[in-house]
Amino acid sequence: MSGGVGPALSPPVIQMAQVATVALGAPLVSGVIARVEAMLQGRHGPRVLQPYYDLAKLFRKEALAPIGASPFFLAAPVISLACYLIVPLLIPVLTSYALPLGYMGDILGGGFILALASFVVAVAAAETGDGYAQLASSRAKTFAAITEPVMLLVMFTVAIVTTTDLPYVLGATVRSSPDQIVRPAHLLASAALFLVILFETGRIPIETHTGTTEFGMIEEGRSFEHSGPYLALLRWGSMAKQLVLFVIFLNVFVAPWGLASTHALGDVLLAIVLLLAKSCGVGCVIAVIDDSFAKLRLFKITEFVAAAFLLAVMAIFTLYLGGG
Amino acid sequence: MGGQSVPDLFDGTATTIAVVVLLLEFLMLRSALLRAQVRLYAVQSLVVSVLAAVVAGGRGVPELYALAAVSFALKAVIVPWLILRLMRDASTEIAGSGVLGVASEIMVALVVAAFGFFTVNVLDIHSDVLPASALSLAFAVVLVAFVLIIMRRDVVSQAVGFFSLENGVSLVSLVVAAGMPLILEVAFLFDLLVAVVVFGVLMRVHHGRTRSLSTAGLTRLRG
Amino acid sequence: MSGVPFLDVLLLVLALLPVAAALASVVLPHRAAATLSLVAGLVCLAAVLRLVPAVGGGVVAVGFLRVDALSVVFLLPTAFLYAVAAAFTIGYLGDEAAQAARGSAAERREFGRYSRLFFVGFNAFAWSMFCAPMADGLALLWIAVEVTTVISALLVALDNTEGATEAAWKYVLIASCGLGIGLLATIVMYYAGAQSLGQSYDLALQPLIGHAAALPATPVRLAFVLAVVGFGTKVGLVPMHTWLPDAHAEAPTPVSALLSGSLLAVSLYAILRYYQVAHVTLGDAFPQRVLLVFGIASLLLAALSLLQQNDLKRLLAYSSVEHMGILAIGVSFGTPLALAGVLLHVLAHAAAKGNAFLGAGVLVRSFQTKSLTRIRGAIDRLPWSGPLFLASVLALCALPPFGLFRSEFEIVAGGVDSTRDVPTAILVVLVTLAFLGLLGAVARLVLTPASTAPAASTARGREPSVWMVTPVLVGVLALLLLGVHPPADLDALLRAAAGQLGGVVAS
Repeated sequence: MSGGVGPALSPPVIQMAQVATVALGAPLVSGVIARVEAMLQGRHGPRVLQPYYDLAKLFRKEALAPIGASPFFLAAPVISLACYLIVPLLIPVLTSYALPLGYMGDILGGGFILALASFVVAVAAAETGDGYAQLASSRAKTFAAITEPVMLLVMFTVAIVTTTDLPYVLGATVRSSPDQIVRPAHLLASAALFLVILFETGRIPIETHTGTTEFGMIEEGRSFEHSGPYLALLRWGSMAKQLVLFVIFLNVFVAPWGLASTHALGDVLLAIVLLLAKSCGVGCVIAVIDDSFAKLRLFKITEFVAAAFLLAVMAIFTLYLGGG
Repeated sequence: MGGQSVPDLFDGTATTIAVVVLLLEFLMLRSALLRAQVRLYAVQSLVVSVLAAVVAGGRGVPELYALAAVSFALKAVIVPWLILRLMRDASTEIAGSGVLGVASEIMVALVVAAFGFFTVNVLDIHSDVLPASALSLAFAVVLVAFVLIIMRRDVVSQAVGFFSLENGVSLVSLVVAAGMPLILEVAFLFDLLVAVVVFGVLMRVHHGRTRSLSTAGLTRLRG
Repeated sequence: MSGVPFLDVLLLVLALLPVAAALASVVLPHRAAATLSLVAGLVCLAAVLRLVPAVGGGVVAVGFLRVDALSVVFLLPTAFLYAVAAAFTIGYLGDEAAQAARGSAAERREFGRYSRLFFVGFNAFAWSMFCAPMADGLALLWIAVEVTTVISALLVALDNTEGATEAAWKYVLIASCGLGIGLLATIVMYYAGAQSLGQSYDLALQPLIGHAAALPATPVRLAFVLAVVGFGTKVGLVPMHTWLPDAHAEAPTPVSALLSGSLLAVSLYAILRYYQVAHVTLGDAFPQRVLLVFGIASLLLAALSLLQQNDLKRLLAYSSVEHMGILAIGVSFGTPLALAGVLLHVLAHAAAKGNAFLGAGVLVRSFQTKSLTRIRGAIDRLPWSGPLFLASVLALCALPPFGLFRSEFEIVAGGVDSTRDVPTAILVVLVTLAFLGLLGAVARLVLTPASTAPAASTARGREPSVWMVTPVLVGVLALLLLGVHPPADLDALLRAAAGQLGGVVAS
């Protein structure tokens, strides 16, 4: 595609730029969320770039592993980060047209890779033999038994609408007219996806994102035994997962605008900025939710995920009722 | 297979509002505080009135504006106020626990709602006022209200379940009977008001006798 | 045709007199209120009897009220039981009034409040049950039936015992849910009618029935099923009957008589109006099949439950369920003979069940208990009420020469006529089973000598006042009349109403 501002970039470069955006922009989004949350609480809060400093600090530290942990324990953070950085190759991060490797997997493939990463981390945590890590890992997988089908249902809903499940086409369909956004199936699927995002990123009402309370920790507990660079990779991976989910939510469901439609450098840079801005917007919404609700008791989380399931099933129903 | 045709803006909005009514019904299944249930009912009545106004504007049926106003006044304002007043004396705040846990109740309600959807869809009833999906949703609201009444173990939840059943029936009447003479619709609403008063009186009698709002003790009469 | 203005006045009397009595009872003292209720009941009965010959040929209508043959058939039970129960109440509350007059000021106030609530409710209840058959249109019919529900729920709770409170809550919840479904039925029927009558008609009966052949089938089918389920809740069809034994057993006796005798009938009237439309639109097969299923289920459950009852009034309540099942099965047979039998059965059942409840009230009063095991030797203690009660129950069991024998015979004959042999056979078997249960229980109550009563019985052993005996006597005589030789006017009325139900489609 020609036109646009600045020199044209070749598609592989743009594809690498997508991965780089996610990798480098993820800590920024986390930082913004933490800062906004603190400001809403009336505190000054950490600086926005703090996660970068934290990651740098962790890379300098010594890595320890529990006695009896297999090499899998050390490989898991690397595998998970790799998975989280593969997904940006498949989804519309910066561009509204498909990039070369974009046909490698459809949205179902993307969901599978995300689940693989989560699985790998959970297994690594479970095999350490540590109490807290196993606790968190088992909790995560129990609830994942309901949230994974919800993810699938959400993807199916949108796929049925456009008779395809390539993310680029989905985004294009949603962009095509305002009717598409108002249709109930779409709204319900978006709501369900939002609830799943709250679960996957470990926010209120599932767990307090930053604490390690024994009664409630899920996300934090899984990285309990890792240290040093491996902990840095895990933290980075979870921040990347957060940004990836935001990107899917925004660029496929809710706000698929502002993506570059040409190869030009200027358009791509603008797309990067807009993407990060939109993600920070979603992050602010999540920060407000964090500060407005209380954490659910552990066995009430089943109600929460059941609600997400309900929304996803209703989305399918209203779709099947004919023009829903 | 559905989903091939995109609904237009009016249909999509109307169906979304109907979906919101159904979701509120599900939310009532979950809420544990009695006052919260009553407020959810008020919100649900508000949404139904909004839908009536939307239909009045979008389809050009001016009497529905009046109906929306009366329905809002009666069902979203007066009835919840009445119930809350009648509950004033009762010191119980928490609804009695249901027969099953909340997640299980939601699953059961989902199955029931699915049954409602697909049965009504099979019947192929068309209306030029609202899309047929709204009719299925309205029937689903009625069925989920039944689930609420069956699964709950205290008088206020059961009464609120019955009132939300009437909301579902109003939704059905919006879809297939939007042209019904206004006087009949208003008569139905006033009838509901009388029913609310009687429900309230009996709730007070029950509370006066058993000092609680729970129906778990109503097992004397069997066989 | 609107007819002579005198007939219009009769309709207005029926619509206004009971509510006037109810309003007056707010301020009147006990004696006056009781007398006023009795007078209102007798006047209304006279009005309805005067209407009987008038509607044989046509329709009487004024404003929102419209009375044809079918309506009058369902006005009769209410009018009869209104008068009879009002007379019974004079004696029923008379004892308590005398007791309260002798007691303290607080007791007098308490009784005054009870009696005021009772008479207001009683008259209002009768008024609402008059309005339902007279309503012109399905929407007004629904409103009237809803009003009967709310008023009767308050009456059931009147005694303020634990059982009464429980029964009233169950009743109002289940019946209101059923009427919610009934409202759905009304709306769907409106939708069906709107296709051929335009968007703003008001569900008036005459146009709807006139256009019935042109209505779309699917909505009418849905509306009919919803109507049977919804209004059937108030009729007491299984499986929606669960409120019935409780409510009928725990209400005050005159109210129980009205509930069983006329409220069930009025709710059945609503179903019959829907049947009238549906069987023209859909043909005979579907509506009759639906009614047959519900009828047999009700009859089966009731017959089985009658065999193991422990409470006198619950026994009679299950007998009501049984008879409603018989009525549903009778309508499902569809021949003119069966339909005439059904309508006669409505009248005879009202008289018999009303009597039975009133007699049971006397028994319960005398023996201070409702338990079937503790009442013994009624025939000795209550030389009038005992045998009269037994006669009412024998009538309920369809023994000749009472009216119920004639009506059930007509139903069975209609069933055989329409070659529905299997349902007829099932009907006969189950009715026999019910007969066993009912008579077995009651015979033990009445015919055993007093000496076999358990030692702990606390019978007062007094024959109650003449006010409590005469109504039952009148009722038994009415049953005999219906059974042996129904008056010609009544016969013509029943045939006209059966013709209306049967409609233009030859069955």
